[in-house]
Amino acid sequence: MREQKGPSLVTPGEVLGRASDVKAGRGAYVAPHNSTVYSSLTGFLRTISPPADSPDQRPIVEVTGHKAQGAVPVPGSVVIGQVTKVMARMASADIMCVGPKSVREKFTGIIWQQDVRATEIEKVDMHLSFHPGDIVRALVLSLGDARAYYLSTAKNELGVVSAESTAGATMVPISWTEMHCPVTGQIEQRKVAKVGS
Amino acid sequence: MLHSKSFVKKSRAGRVTKVVREHYLRDDIYCGASICKVCDSSVARLSASASTILVLDTNVVLNQIDLLENPAIDDVVVLSVVLDEVKNKNMAVYNRLRALCSNSLRKFFVFSNEHHKDTYVKEMSGESKNDRNDRAIRVASQWYQSHLGDEVRVLLITNDRENRRKAVEEGIFAETVESYVKSLGQPDLLDLLVQPASEDVDMAEVEDLRPSKRKVIYNEHKPMSEITSGLHRGIYHQGKLRVNRYNPFEAYVGSESIGDEIVIYGRTNMNRAFDSDIVAVELLPQDQWHEEKSLSIAEDEEDEEDVHLVPSSADDAPRTTLPQQDSSRETNPVSYRPFGRVVGIIKRNWHSYCGSLEPMPMPAGSGSVANALFVSKDRRIPKIRIQTRQLENLLDKRIIVAVDSWDFLSRYPSGHYVRTIGEIGDRDTESEVVLIENDIISRPFSAQVLACLPPLPWSVSPIDLSNPNRMDLCHLRVFSVDPPGCKDIDDALHCSTLPNGNFEVGVHIADVTNFVFPGTPLDDEAAQRGTSTYLVERRIDMLPKPLTEDICSLRADVERLAFSVIWEMTPEAEVISTRFTKSIIKSSAAMSYVEAQARMDDSRLMDPLTTDLRNMNTLAKIMRLRRIDRGALTLASAEVKFQIDTETHDPLDIGMYQIREANQMVEEFMLAANVSVAKQILDHFPLCSLLRRHPTPTREMLEPLLRTAAAVGLHLDVSSSKALADSLDHALGDDPYFNKLIRILATRCMTQAVYFCSGDLSRPEYHHYGLAAPLYTHFTSPIRRYADVIVHRLLAASLNIDKLPSIFQDRPQLTSISDNLNYRHRNAQMAGRASVELHTLIYFRKRPTDAEARIVKIRSNGFIVFVPKYGIEGPVYLTSRAEKGGGEWYVDEPQQKIKKMDGSLSYSVLQAVKIHMEVVEPQPNRPKLQLTLI
Amino acid sequence: MEYVSPEGLRLDGRRPMEMRQIRAEIGTIMKADGSAVFEMGNTKVVAAVYGPREVQNRGQQISDKALVRCEYSMANFSTGDRMRKPKGDRRSTEISLVIRQTMEESILTHLMPRSQIDIYVQVLQADGGTRSACINAATLALADAGIPMRDLVTSCSAGYLNSTPLLDLNYVEDSAGGPDVTLGILPKLDKVTLLQMDSKLPIDIFENVMQLATEGCKAVANYIRELLLENTKELEYRRGV
Repeated sequence: MREQKGPSLVTPGEVLGRASDVKAGRGAYVAPHNSTVYSSLTGFLRTISPPADSPDQRPIVEVTGHKAQGAVPVPGSVVIGQVTKVMARMASADIMCVGPKSVREKFTGIIWQQDVRATEIEKVDMHLSFHPGDIVRALVLSLGDARAYYLSTAKNELGVVSAESTAGATMVPISWTEMHCPVTGQIEQRKVAKVGS
Repeated sequence: MLHSKSFVKKSRAGRVTKVVREHYLRDDIYCGASICKVCDSSVARLSASASTILVLDTNVVLNQIDLLENPAIDDVVVLSVVLDEVKNKNMAVYNRLRALCSNSLRKFFVFSNEHHKDTYVKEMSGESKNDRNDRAIRVASQWYQSHLGDEVRVLLITNDRENRRKAVEEGIFAETVESYVKSLGQPDLLDLLVQPASEDVDMAEVEDLRPSKRKVIYNEHKPMSEITSGLHRGIYHQGKLRVNRYNPFEAYVGSESIGDEIVIYGRTNMNRAFDSDIVAVELLPQDQWHEEKSLSIAEDEEDEEDVHLVPSSADDAPRTTLPQQDSSRETNPVSYRPFGRVVGIIKRNWHSYCGSLEPMPMPAGSGSVANALFVSKDRRIPKIRIQTRQLENLLDKRIIVAVDSWDFLSRYPSGHYVRTIGEIGDRDTESEVVLIENDIISRPFSAQVLACLPPLPWSVSPIDLSNPNRMDLCHLRVFSVDPPGCKDIDDALHCSTLPNGNFEVGVHIADVTNFVFPGTPLDDEAAQRGTSTYLVERRIDMLPKPLTEDICSLRADVERLAFSVIWEMTPEAEVISTRFTKSIIKSSAAMSYVEAQARMDDSRLMDPLTTDLRNMNTLAKIMRLRRIDRGALTLASAEVKFQIDTETHDPLDIGMYQIREANQMVEEFMLAANVSVAKQILDHFPLCSLLRRHPTPTREMLEPLLRTAAAVGLHLDVSSSKALADSLDHALGDDPYFNKLIRILATRCMTQAVYFCSGDLSRPEYHHYGLAAPLYTHFTSPIRRYADVIVHRLLAASLNIDKLPSIFQDRPQLTSISDNLNYRHRNAQMAGRASVELHTLIYFRKRPTDAEARIVKIRSNGFIVFVPKYGIEGPVYLTSRAEKGGGEWYVDEPQQKIKKMDGSLSYSVLQAVKIHMEVVEPQPNRPKLQLTLI
Repeated sequence: MEYVSPEGLRLDGRRPMEMRQIRAEIGTIMKADGSAVFEMGNTKVVAAVYGPREVQNRGQQISDKALVRCEYSMANFSTGDRMRKPKGDRRSTEISLVIRQTMEESILTHLMPRSQIDIYVQVLQADGGTRSACINAATLALADAGIPMRDLVTSCSAGYLNSTPLLDLNYVEDSAGGPDVTLGILPKLDKVTLLQMDSKLPIDIFENVMQLATEGCKAVANYIRELLLENTKELEYRRGV
């Protein structure tokens, strides 16, 4: 996708084009009653040409605001959170980053027992997968219920990224189920994320 | 540019708040001079040929407004700072100044100096408000001078020495009023000048008023701060001063805090307050109450009670003073009213008064300034001292004088002459005095008003005929019955028999609102006037003559536009249906009451018109009986009619007004129409209808009637209007006139009926006591009453013919309109009565007469009699004026008799006596009618 | 009482069709996601916007839209006399509701489900037209917070005194008891989101007054747009773009 930077500044409500000519991207919307695309944010207007193979050849107009809007977990995004509670069939975590961005306010996520790993999902022991205070990387499955997002760590690169041992030291991952405390030498069980090449 | 004005305000309750306001400065305010090349001259008012342009100081405007109204003063710039100061100090002067500024013939220009960026002046620290305003005036004058260049001289007129000095220092031309007026070279203008009060002029210029040489007559007024704190603490009471018209040394202050009226007796206690000033009163200690004189006819050095027309309501009747204290009787003490004295004046209500100068010897050397005393026609106003150069000229003239000030060391207030009306005794002059005194607007209609009239000759046009809201009723046999010689016919009637035996009766009223539209100059002028005024020899119209006598008048044999109320009623006068419609009618006959009566009485006549008249009459009689059953009062009127000589316009004969059946018939249907319309408009507009009510008289008001009746052994039941009506019917004495006399006495106890807005009062208060009607309004005379015009508009809106004008949504405006209508109605009545009194005087001047009279009230030195033939009443003195008190006569209160000490003669109330009437002139140019016992 | 002199000047020197001086600033409150101070003449209002953030009261969460909450209050010192109860009285509740409904119309709430946007508006100085100033300030704060909107919402008041339509009434003119029309519009889309009136007006005069208020709103909208553009340019400049 090639980007073309347009230097023009727009404010909410300004006309960006007809719905038949342009497609509304982020920061723009289509008014249904007269099929016009208006801007919804204050910022720079950018027109992005569509990829050559897409059926819809209309250029996409986007407006980028200067204030980064606090990131919101969206199904399919990878989030980093801290586990707050571990129970028999689920663990809850506070989501702190969405992708590379940190959120303004924490969101709550739940990892169900069956979403901890891909294999033998019935036999998962939550307390052997997570401990309260662990930092986990997870994938947002869905918006979940009224209380929390539904997360999943059922991939190799998802799971505990960093954890503290009972002694209080940061542990080192050994395998995808174990972590080793450098101070006491103890090994603790976690569902560890594969970080690396 | 935006400036901020901040000041600190103290509320009545004593709370202090800081007020911050924005103040924008502009650059698009023009100077108003047509010679100026820089500014937009489309708004220019100052003439191009002016060599001097005047800028006035606030005090000059406040004190010399009469001078400014004189056309000799022109090309004046009124600064907005001056305008605001005048508005805060004196609303009446402000209104006059505004009238001058908007008058296109006068060259007064209002310059908004407060918002002009070059002339705005910000208050410096330590500068008082007055100093700042003076500085603003000087800065504006200077700006004007530099703006207009050297061709024009900008002159600042101020009597303030300090201001003048500073102006001259800054290079502005400045003069006092006197020197400017003198420079104009018109000596009669100098008379209009008000002599400066001591604050303006340097103290050294005032003559030495050695305190010991001057008798201090009045107490100084207390300062405002003391008054406010006194009001707060309850030691002072606030109220409006009402001076007794018949005894100017007696006044009443209605006070809410006391709940009763405080009597102020004596000039010293009145302390320089005028009638209708708002004053602060302190109560006198209880032992000083009842200090008034006895129930004698008011005597003092100057005047005594006058012969006047019989009062037609309690408002016209003389106020009764407190009953005389008779120590020999053990009657229950009447609730004594508290006495008090005035300690300060909160708001002055001074305006101009008409009257004449007191006769005095000519000062040596004419042309010099003389001090004269002006006596106002209105007895409630004290004498006013003025200075004039034209004393000789003015002695026999009626003039108008305005009051300026009343120093506590001076016996009389000081004023200045405004203008002459004419010679005393000249009938036209006296008529004009009557008009001015009663605030009747009689100036000719302006060109703008006349421009609102449709062009003459006018006739019903095809547009009117095709109007769907207008029914064509030309086929009906419509007729009108009015006083002889009446040209403004506003009502017409018709009565036709229906196939089912019922009658269709219609009342058609001239459709004035078809020609008078809201918001036009014609409508505004009519609203101001409120009603037509009927003087003996002329009529002051509310609407211009082309409308009243031609276009709207329902004359015979021409098609005219009308607003109709049509009833279907049974032969027993029961109303089956009512409908309202705009219509076109063609009157077949415009009869006088005498004519109509003659037709009905002549049994030979059987033509359709006479039959209609007789039918109507029968219906009217039934309706009248029904009304009386309900409790309507029939009070006797003591109205007189004058027969005027057509050439000299002098009265030839006067006599009592005759009421015939024809009069009562028309009246009955007019009443019915008014009631029907009242119901209709109230249904549709419960909150903004204009109705008419008559408050029930209180027991107190009926006291004098009851006392008089009791004295002759007659018992009157006043528990309700029906009871009173019945009692009056049964009040028969040995002589035939007795009943009429009792009715006349009852009339003077009634209150006046008033207009009001329906949203202001509750339903039971809408009652009309005299007609015993729960609802009433005025609909039938729009040509001569503005209230009817308003009701026409309401009716048209209720029928969806027209839109209701926006004024009806503004309740306070409506209330003030109805107040104005009541005020004008009252004034028109008083003017009418005064005109009749005037003509009575002229009539008797050449004809001393003897006549029969009846005693209506006993006084300690005589009695008041009523002369039925001429409808006047006045005092007859038994003791000469030199003898104070009763002399050889004494009063028997319960029997209402006055008896001679030796028992030889006595006169009782309602007794018939013979009197002699003639016009005497105890003082030159002051004729009065005197009644003496034969 | 004369509110328009025969010379055509109002009590403070403006002509009937002139608005008071407008001044605004963005980003005055650091902690808030978006904030603005808006002045119309002597009326000064500060608005702060927090959001979109997680709904605090789970029961109120809406699954497909953002929840917009608004709170209006007057500072104790904002009027001439110190006020006792700045919040929770009827008028404040009513105005809070009015502002919320007005802004809700313009925010693209469906883009932010299950979150909440808080708008806090406080009047620092009240001199007539507080409602309008609050709406204008809220618009600015929302734009500053980057919350997507259909269009800017601008508001202005107009009245009718001495038979003249007047634009932007100040406190003295407001307390005259004449009709007071408050209008809130989306200027580019030409749609009305708020229309309130006190007292009564005949319909033909009402049209004139509303037309006048619309022009006032458009003037405010121009000013706000200018301000937003300038502010963005300033920020970009500081970021080194």
